[in-house]
Amino acid sequence: MTSSSAASRKNLSKIACNRLQKELVEWQVNPPAGFKHKVTDNLQRWVIEVAGAPGTLYSNETYQLQVDFPENYPMEAPQVIFLHPAPLHPHIYSNGHICLDILYDSWSPAMTVSSICISILSMLSSSTVKQRPEDNDRYVKNCRNGRSPRRQGGGSMMTKYDN
Amino acid sequence: MGPNAAVVKQAELLRIDGNNYFKKNRFGAAIDAYTEAITLCPNVPIYFTNRALCHLKRNEWERVEEDSRRAIQLDNHSVKAHYMLGLVLLQKQELAKGIKELEKALNLGRGANPKGYMVEEIWQELAKAKYLEWERSSSERSWELQNLKEACESALKEKHFLDVSEMEGFVDDTTTSHLKQLEALERVFNKAAEDDKPSEVPDYLCCRITLDIFHDPVITPSGLTYERAVILDHLQKVGEFDPITREPLDPSQLIPNLAIKEAVEQFLDKHWWAYKID
Repeated sequence: MTSSSAASRKNLSKIACNRLQKELVEWQVNPPAGFKHKVTDNLQRWVIEVAGAPGTLYSNETYQLQVDFPENYPMEAPQVIFLHPAPLHPHIYSNGHICLDILYDSWSPAMTVSSICISILSMLSSSTVKQRPEDNDRYVKNCRNGRSPRRQGGGSMMTKYDN
Repeated sequence: MGPNAAVVKQAELLRIDGNNYFKKNRFGAAIDAYTEAITLCPNVPIYFTNRALCHLKRNEWERVEEDSRRAIQLDNHSVKAHYMLGLVLLQKQELAKGIKELEKALNLGRGANPKGYMVEEIWQELAKAKYLEWERSSSERSWELQNLKEACESALKEKHFLDVSEMEGFVDDTTTSHLKQLEALERVFNKAAEDDKPSEVPDYLCCRITLDIFHDPVITPSGLTYERAVILDHLQKVGEFDPITREPLDPSQLIPNLAIKEAVEQFLDKHWWAYKID
């Protein structure tokens, strides 16, 4: 992400702050299997290392997720993207954007970073082919500075992945 | 005989003036307007709580106290009056009394009361005061226990010494039982200190959205319990569904969960450290 997008971010609300601190403590005690949180002092952006599950197309590969929390988290889903290079997957665009319904229309404030991570790993694990989404080039081109694969002007969004 | 209708109306207009001044942060002018209203109708609690709030903004604590006490005399169910009186008492370092007033305000503000929006604010103040009180009293208690433990240990040692000098043949037996007694003593004292040792709040007393201990728990038709302010926010901003089961949910279906509320109170009563606010 560019620094301008960081500057335009608003500070976390009190509720968001409290909740993230609690999630972080819980993560430290009981992290989801296959994930490593890279410790920083930035509560609003987490960088998480994902290890592909053994026995799947992504075993022995590691990727990095970047999770940005909106001001009124958890009433709004966090923005979750893969940092470069993003895994080759039919629901992951080459710019790191992930097509996963719980990150958009199906978000619920009862979900946590931990439960999102588990969904993403299960999305990776259930993949049978390593390839980009069909509309990858068009999507990435149209997306420019956009940060998520929400339906946008030009780019049609592919079928959503239901977990 | 009460004041006549014209006077009542005049006082109400003054209250509205006062409210407008208040919104513009012109607290002096607001106080004057409320004072005039009180002169016309001295039995309306809201004139006093409104004026008290202006005094509060100006840190005029004695006046806040005077006005909130007067409002409570007129209406013992005034959330704001108990809340402000609680703040005054805390300010005067009368912790126990202040806590009592805030607890009263919290209980009045909870539930179907439309003033529910104040609950969070009251909770924060109450939690701060309780945590402070806990820090003070728990260090007293731990000091007391430590002294008592040392006294007990030295008494046991003395007894052991006497026993050994009396019974020459069975020294090994007495030593074993002496060590066992010391161990048991350690256990008893650890147990006694347990409630004061901060640990985790059980999950069933925490909201699945805030991840924090419940302040004002409400239950949905799915049988799940959430923090009232937060589930209302969710229904308004995210969608009209239960966040966990995704069943359709309307705000009118939320019911106070009194059992959980009591369980939280019991837990907090025993474990004041859980009042800690990050």
